[in-house]
Order: sequence, then C-alpha cells, then structure tokens
Amino acid sequence: MLRYQENNELHRDFHGTTNTTLDYIVERYGVEALKEILHRTGHDVYKSIREKLEKGDASELVEHLNWFYHREGAPYQLTVTEDEIRFEVFECPAHRHLKALGLPVSRHSCLQTGEVNAGMCEGTRWEASLEKVGDDHCVQIFRRRKAE
Amino acid sequence: MIPSDHFVRFYNEVFKFLDERDGLRDYYDEISRHQDFHCQKLFKEKGLEGVEEYYRKIRVEENCDMDIELDGHELLLRMNRCPSLSKAIDNDAGACPKYCMHCPGWVHPLYTRVGLYDVYDLKGLDEPACTEYISDDLEVARARRDELLKIRPKEQIICNFE
Repeated sequence: MLRYQENNELHRDFHGTTNTTLDYIVERYGVEALKEILHRTGHDVYKSIREKLEKGDASELVEHLNWFYHREGAPYQLTVTEDEIRFEVFECPAHRHLKALGLPVSRHSCLQTGEVNAGMCEGTRWEASLEKVGDDHCVQIFRRRKAE
Repeated sequence: MIPSDHFVRFYNEVFKFLDERDGLRDYYDEISRHQDFHCQKLFKEKGLEGVEEYYRKIRVEENCDMDIELDGHELLLRMNRCPSLSKAIDNDAGACPKYCMHCPGWVHPLYTRVGLYDVYDLKGLDEPACTEYISDDLEVARARRDELLKIRPKEQIICNFE
C-alpha cells in the first residue's frame, strides 16, 4: 500500500521548477549540497518505503515505481525477482516535458533518481544503482545485499 | 525523476536547506525568473484577465479548491484548500515552517515586473488557505491592504508595494 497515492490531475510544469532548482542549488551551494537534499528527500519523504525495505518488504517500492511512472505516461519495463528490482525507463517523462517546453535539461537531472533511490535504501539491505543508457533512458536497479 | 505529484515534498526539503543558510529570498527570485517563462507574456499582454486565465489552468492541474473572481480592477483568488501546503503537511518529512512564504516570494517580483499590485492574506503559515487580491490600480490595492490591516495581523498581510 502506498503512503502517498495521488490520483488526480498532474501539473507537469513542476518538472521545470525542479530542473531550475537543481541548477540553482549546484551553482550556489555545489553538487554535494544537491545530493544531500535529494538523498534526504528519499530518506525522509519516502520513510514508509524505506521502513518496509528494512523489513525486507519491497512491495511499496515496486508499487511506487509503477504508479507514478504510469501516471506520468512513461514507457517502462519493470522486472521483479526476489533479490532484484529492475526498472527500465525508455523515455524519462520529466525530460520529455522539458523538451516539449523548449527548456534545456539540467545536466544534474539524473541525480534526482540516483540520490532519491539511495536515500530510500539507506540503512536497509537494499542498494540502488542507476545505469544511464541514453540521455533520457535509464535503468534503475535495486539489489538485495546478501546477509553477512 | 521526482514525480510531479511529489515536487512539493522535494520543494519543502529545498526550503529547509535554504532557510538554514538564509537563502530563501534569492531562491524565490530564481523561481520567479523561471515563472516568467510561463506567465510574463500572458500577464503583460492581458493584465488581470491573463492572471485569471493562468490560475484557471492551475486550479485544474494542481487540484486547487479555489474561487477566482474578477471584478473591475481587482482579481480575487481565494484558496479554500491549498494542495501545496496540504501535501507538505501530509508528509513523513514534516513541513518547513516557512513553506507558505514561497508563494508571495515568487509571485510578487513577477507581478511587479508586469505592473500589477498584490495583497496576500496568508491567514496562517500552518493553515492551507489564503486569499490574494491582485489589482492593476495602486489605489485599489492600497485600499484593500488598509481594509485588511484593520482586521488581520500585519505579519499575515504581504504586499509588493509600499
């Protein structure tokens, strides 16, 4: 069950404000500051997902990826096994919207995904990684670490 | 990607970070410049009718419970339930105490650039409701501000004019 499950209209122009914010934070405070904010967003905002991951339950994470990328109209493929969640996004909906508006995509854009996912996994037996296949195409991978 | 549904909760974390560094005002100015992309031409060319047009679209896209009334030289935006602060509150990370301030923070410089006068009645920083009175006539805006100051604490009345 999702902690947040919006099901009404979308304001996609928020991708533009996010994009502006990424560049602003890096220009004024540096890329580590941006990573800190994004990581904290993943850790604190998505506390419910993180706490379930701590217990070995990835169900909310899977539902989260499915629900919000579906709502954004992303073409994607989600593959779930016991120890790995592989989420391939063929065209990032945020990038698609920015390009439709004629706005340049921040070169820090993919930190949104990488750092938020890392924040969600912090302190759990899951680790997140991000493989960039192209400018707008990536694979988000969550792997369960072996017990020590 | 941060889903557009969750932008507000990210924004809220940005505010916390910047507030600790006394950096909110400069950030609001940056957001205001970004919003020129969406609003400036419309507001400049159509005045209050352009502002009304923009907020009729926002009301749908952002799921606002908002009354919009244009009456002569004044446009009233009464936010009965702000979806933005509501999300910041419905949030395991907790709301930034100054969350509401971003709205006048970015719209006021924009209104000033297009020659409009605004009176914001914030009601309370923990209450997802506010009223905005936008005017193309400085005297109308001043009269509205003075009327509100008789019944509301001055900290909650924010204007983009003297």
